[in-house]
Amino acid sequence: MRLLLVELNRFRSRRAIALMLLAAMLLAALFAFTTIWDTRPVSAADVARAEAQVERDKSSRWFKQELARCESNPEEYNGDGATAADCAESMTPRPEWYLERRQLVLDEVRHGSGIGLVVLLAGIMVIIGTTFAGADWASGSMSNQLLFEPRRAKVWLAKAAAVFVGAAVASAVILTVFWAALFVTAEVRGISTGATVQEAIRAEAFRGVLLAGFGALGAYALTMLLRHTVGTVAVLFAYAIAGTAVIAALPISGVGRWSVGNNVTAWLQDGYEFYDGTIACSPGAGGCEQMVKMTLEQGATYLGVTLAVVAVASLLLFRRRDIP
Amino acid sequence: MSETVIETEGLRKEFRTRKGRHIVAVQDLDLAVPAGGVHGFLGPNGSGKTTTIRMLLGLARASKGEMRLFGKPVPRHLPEVMNRIGAVVEQPKFVPTFSGRKNLSLLARSIGVPSAGVDAALDRVGLTGRDRERYKGYSLGMKQRLAIAATLLKDPDLLILDEPTNGLDPAGIRDIRDMIRHLGESGVTVLLSSHILAEVQQVCDSVSIIGNGRLLAAGKVDDLVGAHGAATMRVGVADPAAAADHLQANGYVVTRENGHLLVDGPGRADQITRILAAKELYVHELTPVRADLESVFLQLTKDATISAGAE
Repeated sequence: MRLLLVELNRFRSRRAIALMLLAAMLLAALFAFTTIWDTRPVSAADVARAEAQVERDKSSRWFKQELARCESNPEEYNGDGATAADCAESMTPRPEWYLERRQLVLDEVRHGSGIGLVVLLAGIMVIIGTTFAGADWASGSMSNQLLFEPRRAKVWLAKAAAVFVGAAVASAVILTVFWAALFVTAEVRGISTGATVQEAIRAEAFRGVLLAGFGALGAYALTMLLRHTVGTVAVLFAYAIAGTAVIAALPISGVGRWSVGNNVTAWLQDGYEFYDGTIACSPGAGGCEQMVKMTLEQGATYLGVTLAVVAVASLLLFRRRDIP
Repeated sequence: MSETVIETEGLRKEFRTRKGRHIVAVQDLDLAVPAGGVHGFLGPNGSGKTTTIRMLLGLARASKGEMRLFGKPVPRHLPEVMNRIGAVVEQPKFVPTFSGRKNLSLLARSIGVPSAGVDAALDRVGLTGRDRERYKGYSLGMKQRLAIAATLLKDPDLLILDEPTNGLDPAGIRDIRDMIRHLGESGVTVLLSSHILAEVQQVCDSVSIIGNGRLLAAGKVDDLVGAHGAATMRVGVADPAAAADHLQANGYVVTRENGHLLVDGPGRADQITRILAAKELYVHELTPVRADLESVFLQLTKDATISAGAE
């Protein structure tokens, strides 16, 4: 416990980590602000602006020419049987044309910027996990720490717990504030959100917190294995991006299941259905199903097994290898 | 019989370089450091000193052999004795973006030392007042002082210092030397690895000299120096040429130096005077030439290099 507190202190004292957490908070604030702004209700000022715009449109030369052209040949514009009166009806600008704005629907936000924010948060936490371990190796302070606590497994676990707790708590706070801001806004605007949607948001945010926490933990474990921040980032990039591309290019059927992105989405969205063009179709088999449905459990298993393999390898090798 | 604080038996460390070269850094090293006092650990660059220290402290795994600290086999029982050991291995290693105090506080908290202990350690190495500055802004000497302060957090029974005066100015070197001497006198066992042989001779009670990963000599500084230096005599005589002939005829190795003779051989001073007096050559100066630790070290390590080359 004492070592965990020391590592948590180290975690919150690192300037690079503080800056990345600040970036995560600003990002969440930006997402929330954009969502709230884009769905703001129409005000009297907006109506006045729209009416003024309508008047400008109506008095424009272009509108008058078009209207005259339509009235001279209404059927060309509005179909058979159309009259000159129909032209005025269909072409005269109306204020509502300029007041079209979508409403704040939290279920839509959950599928849109909610998921986007969680993925970005997880990415930031992965970098935080990497830099947390990488700094110890880069400065050589790992050997100094082991001169005070030589039980390497204990040191590894304390640092791992600190990374997980730090990343998960930070993500939980950020997501809570993000969703709270949107809930309050919806409440103020008199938009009711059903209990099912609220529950779905809570569950998705919880899974997002776990993804961020375990993502940071996985990145930490990999950095303890490779002992290099840049090396770890390169491996993660190769695994997530280049690896998926290489696998997709192989003549293997149904590799979409092994993509990191699909598994993360399945985990976050409680299941995910996607088109997998790599699924082989036999001619004459009466059609071919290339849509794949992945469950939350499948996503969790993929991510969990990957994390476990990296963590166990990292811990075992940290216990055995010489410390520079 | 005094307790042995550090013991190694048949210690060996081999590893492969990235290019696949097989290197034996330490081979069959038997080391014994008695409790109390300052023990020098000497050897040329690449002789295996730091590797030995790193193995003792659990930072590197031994390929073969046994190690004991305070009688406990390590690395298995290292956690039981680590709180009694302070160590600086190679350069000081701290988090560069933290202040000196922050670095020390984190280490102190990991072993349950209160902040008063941090204050005391900082004060002891003269870093009070600079402790809230970032470590990366410290001079090499300040970094070295901080590393020593870290070792003092534990109030250790054994202090292992690898080149502790690197980068220090003369006043800093004197302070650290005094501190090491004081610690040695107060019952702490200090293992001092250093290249500055004059410093080792001034501070250490005993030394172990290694070369090519092997122990070449060990014992009290005076004994080692005496054993390697007592045979040379500086002789002053009116006719050095005649005296040299007579001594050479009696089996001595004689070299001339500024009108004096340097005489190496098996006999004692009284035999030299007798041989020369028999030929009516009367000695007006006869002084034993005391070797210093440096000459002993150079002689031993040169021999080790020659024999390693012959193998």
